[in-house]
Amino acid sequence: MKRLVLARRENPTRGGQPLAFLVGLVFALVIGALLLWSSGDPVIDTYQRMWERSFGSRDVISATLNRAVPLALAGLAVSIAAKMGLWNIGAEGQILFGATAAAGMARIGDSWPGPVLITAMLIAAAIGGALWALGPALARSEIGVSEIITTLMLNEVALRVIRYLQSGPWKDPDGFGNLQVTPLPDQAALGNIWERAHLGVLIALAVIAFFAWFMTRSVWGYELRIAGSSAKAATYIGISMRTKVLGVLLLSGAVAGFAGGIELTGTASRLNENISNGFGFAGIIVAALALMRPSGVLVVAVAFGGLQVGGQSIQLLGVSSAVSAILQALILFGAIGAGVLSAYQIRLVDRKVA
Amino acid sequence: MTEPAVELDGIWKRFPGVVANAGANLTVRPGTVHAVLGENGAGKTTLMNCLAGVYLPDEGTVKLHGREMRFSSPADALAAGVGMVHQEFRLVPTFTVAENVVLGSAPRVISRPEINRSVAELAERFGFSAEPERPVWQLSMGERQRVEILKALWRDAQVLILDEPTAVLTPQEAEDLGRVLRQMVGEGRSVLFISHKLNEVTAFCDEATVLRGGATVASSVAIADVDSAALAELMVGSSTKSTETDAQRNTEMGDVVLAVDNVSVTDSRGLTAVDGVSFEVRAGEILGIAGVAGNGQRQLTDAIAGLETCRTGSVALMGDDLTSATPRDRFRAGLAYVPEDRLGVGLAPKLPIAENAVMRHYPKMRRGPILLWDRAKEFSAELVSRFEVKVGRVEDRLASLSGGNLQRLLLGRELSSEPSVVVASQPTRGLDVHGVAAIQRLLVEQRDQGTGVLMVSEDLDELLVLADRILVMSEGRVAGKFDPAVASRAEIGAAMAGVS
Amino acid sequence: MRRRLLLVVAAVLAFSLVATACGDDGGSTGGASDDVTAAWVYIGQPGDAGWTFAHDQGRQAAADATGATTLTVENIAEGSPEFEQAVRDFIAEGADIIFATSFGYMDDMEKLAAEFPDVVFDHATGFKSNDTNFTNYFGRVYQPRYLSGMIAGASTTTDTIGYVAAFPIPEVIRGINAFTLGAQVTNPDVTVQVNWTSTWFDPAVEGDAASALLEAGADVIAMHQDSTAAGEAAEAAGARWVSYNSDMSAFAPSAYLTSAVWDWGPYYTSVIEEVGAGTWDATPYWGGMDDGIVKLGSIASDVDAALVTQVNDVGDQMTAGTFDPFTGPINDQDGTERVAAGVSMDDGSMLGMDWFVDGVDGSAGG
Repeated sequence: MKRLVLARRENPTRGGQPLAFLVGLVFALVIGALLLWSSGDPVIDTYQRMWERSFGSRDVISATLNRAVPLALAGLAVSIAAKMGLWNIGAEGQILFGATAAAGMARIGDSWPGPVLITAMLIAAAIGGALWALGPALARSEIGVSEIITTLMLNEVALRVIRYLQSGPWKDPDGFGNLQVTPLPDQAALGNIWERAHLGVLIALAVIAFFAWFMTRSVWGYELRIAGSSAKAATYIGISMRTKVLGVLLLSGAVAGFAGGIELTGTASRLNENISNGFGFAGIIVAALALMRPSGVLVVAVAFGGLQVGGQSIQLLGVSSAVSAILQALILFGAIGAGVLSAYQIRLVDRKVA
Repeated sequence: MTEPAVELDGIWKRFPGVVANAGANLTVRPGTVHAVLGENGAGKTTLMNCLAGVYLPDEGTVKLHGREMRFSSPADALAAGVGMVHQEFRLVPTFTVAENVVLGSAPRVISRPEINRSVAELAERFGFSAEPERPVWQLSMGERQRVEILKALWRDAQVLILDEPTAVLTPQEAEDLGRVLRQMVGEGRSVLFISHKLNEVTAFCDEATVLRGGATVASSVAIADVDSAALAELMVGSSTKSTETDAQRNTEMGDVVLAVDNVSVTDSRGLTAVDGVSFEVRAGEILGIAGVAGNGQRQLTDAIAGLETCRTGSVALMGDDLTSATPRDRFRAGLAYVPEDRLGVGLAPKLPIAENAVMRHYPKMRRGPILLWDRAKEFSAELVSRFEVKVGRVEDRLASLSGGNLQRLLLGRELSSEPSVVVASQPTRGLDVHGVAAIQRLLVEQRDQGTGVLMVSEDLDELLVLADRILVMSEGRVAGKFDPAVASRAEIGAAMAGVS
Repeated sequence: MRRRLLLVVAAVLAFSLVATACGDDGGSTGGASDDVTAAWVYIGQPGDAGWTFAHDQGRQAAADATGATTLTVENIAEGSPEFEQAVRDFIAEGADIIFATSFGYMDDMEKLAAEFPDVVFDHATGFKSNDTNFTNYFGRVYQPRYLSGMIAGASTTTDTIGYVAAFPIPEVIRGINAFTLGAQVTNPDVTVQVNWTSTWFDPAVEGDAASALLEAGADVIAMHQDSTAAGEAAEAAGARWVSYNSDMSAFAPSAYLTSAVWDWGPYYTSVIEEVGAGTWDATPYWGGMDDGIVKLGSIASDVDAALVTQVNDVGDQMTAGTFDPFTGPINDQDGTERVAAGVSMDDGSMLGMDWFVDGVDGSAGG
């Protein structure tokens, strides 16, 4: 009598990761096919459409890249905090507040030339994101309050701040009383560089490349690795855990806030409460799939962006948004599951011994 | 002759950069306590893990009572009758003794009184008292170990593996353990006893298998036929020399390099761990601090190194007051510290060897915000070769090093900036004969070069050999000062026990 | 403005599915209309009741009437790149008309209309347009609101009506004011208490808001969201309820009084036919009961027959254009006269309405 068992691999191979990812993807596609079939939707057409509308042409590839930008930056933000074993669940709120800060800068500098204004807005966005992380960071570093709870709670607060601004202080005077803020000045938009892809794609690429390099090569990144590996070892050589926790959460918040700034200047015409639309939470998944490596975040975010863009498109075939959402979730689940499985091996063994 | 209970044949197990087992063999007769001896890194634990289903051997066969086995998990091995008690216990602290014992193999409908009763009966049968209803977090380490043993017995393990079981036990508890083991083998079970403490092996075991470099060098030697010296020789491969001959007492003492004055430290529970301790360390001497573990030694050394705050008193290095200096400033001022916990305090286990090697020195290897990794690697390579740390590449994970090599790396790193004071806490604990000798030699060299050495050890013999003076700590206070040349063990022992 | 956490679905992964594929079987009335492909962007899911449901009913009616091909996409967040993606997907699929059914799509509609001059962009609830291919449409739902207020005013015994309101924007304020003016016709002493939820669809919040109003003395509840939670709260408390968007009588049968409902079918049909015939132009549309785009829903059987007759008479006058709910004298909460006696309010003032009429208890600022 034989049975299947799951055993942890002692030497997980690097090449195993993409392979496992592929296996997970195929698995998810098969389950997804059953799902589509059971809801009466065309299986092959759905998958074909999903591919065509995410990676099938230059136009949609550029849309996918645009979508990947906030996902990648949010993923980077989460992975930076994770280097020290901290969970920034508040990237969503930091993106929102970063965008809010950028929008505030646009109100101040609405007559400035585009490049100056956009630069100022992006700096404001990063500062805004860091500011939004400041409370949880201080609570964690000074009195040890779990950042998971505090960062999560502030997401809702950031949303309310935008609502408040919409309802009064920044209300659009030309909006017929509707709850929307004044639009951004025209020169505050990042231009397109290729098809529909905006300049934010290049900026995000540069930011991620910088952090990939900085985290491995800098003294700061090295100290972070020590602190993340063992708080006692860090204390022993004189690294202050307090300032490290504070610094890493602020940096994580700044990167997330920066994502909000890029999203605002890249895709939006005015600040609104959907400027993040779940990117902060998706960033956690992106970071997890990228195994918390800044370099991996890029690839994962592009795949994830394509999944979102293509996943939405299948509704045109009559697939309901619920089925589309489950399908996207399945594929993510398959990929995450594959990541876990790549650390294990499945073996056939004798059922009973002795 | 009866079928052997356990037969391991030609076991190979490789890890990245390390061969842990190189064709090891082991045969255990039923009804015996069988010692598995070897230095740290000889492959004892890996071999036992192959038997217990933790690892699958790369090559070789595992037989139980003549039948070939292939375990893919510890649960498989347990189902086949092989139980292992690891060095770190795997118990649920909030569960009771009985709950821990039956965890994972409880009947579907749990009757608490019934389980409590059967666990108590089981314990009684093997001659130890157990209180089934006590939560595990209330138990001493020795008691917890018994729960682990009971867990294996509850599942009717016929082969029980104990990995360095006495490391956590008091002498009294160790003696009790010996009695329990006798009882178990009396019922036809077999016990595998991993150790490198020869006196225990000779006291508890029937036969011994000795491993060296991952391979078996002596198989099933009857303990009655050999003496400790012969076993030790098998373990290390050459005649061991006592460290005593290496240590030449220093007669010329220099200036005071470390002055500890009236230091008190409060521990994490708010209790006084160190209570007004004062002493001086002079250049060119080894000051030994003796004492039973847990009498404030750790907090004292941590306070000297800046990891703990002094509630009262002061610490001065070369005449400079460092009481409120950061650990980094103290190191820079010439204070090297080898902490008791090598992994986790002295070293960062998840990082590569090179990143550990430069942990103290990287501030000198930076250009602005950038760390100069070429220089760091060069430094690491030099360190590794100068202190004879056996590594594959300096980029490898620290986890690939054995205990002795870890300590050489750590001590080497601390010494490579030519400190004026070395504080070494339990520097030789858990090391094999070679490792102990190497570390002791390094400390003696330091002393001979004129460094002040403060050495904390629970091994009184070691201090008697190495130290120029001995302080005894008891309940956070200095309970006595001794000259090892004239003091008797009885006097020092009385001070350690708190008898004034 | 509704937010959704698609990603939370990833954690659930339930295999019990609701198969809600939208069928696109068009009729076959012939003519140029059946060559038209019309596409709808929905803020939510059609479900069984509410705003998106009403639009989807209208879409189906238009598809049946014209034979046009229809496309839909649901759950598209306002102000997110999802909208642009949806529109581009539609156009790639050959869409001739884009109907966007939520306010926050406006900026993207304007931008995309400029990029695709051959596609008609029609935006519900918005106020922007161009002269060529982009305009907006809405209905004078304040008219049936007024009628429903008449029934509500007569039904309250505590002279207190609770109004579970969404956001303090002119569309909602206009509805509250019309409702209050209607209620005052049948009950001069009535007070309409407003409780803002800052939600378009959040059953828990909206149910709680209704319960709070009921506890404060209201015995009739009116509402302006997509969920039926306010009605269910009224049902549980033995109170009465005026629903909105679609006839929601099935969700709280004993509480239900009446409703102000949308019937988008005629409008969608006419746009598709005009586009098919090449006669469409970009004129903003704000139709009333005369066009049938808004109407009073079914009236509960226990409502006094004389009152029903009175309500129907007023409704007929509105349809005929002889009566407007916002005809003076109308005072605001401070007693300031906003509309002089005998004067009807102009559309511009109505579209920017940011004050409550006398008789409303609450702040129009949210």
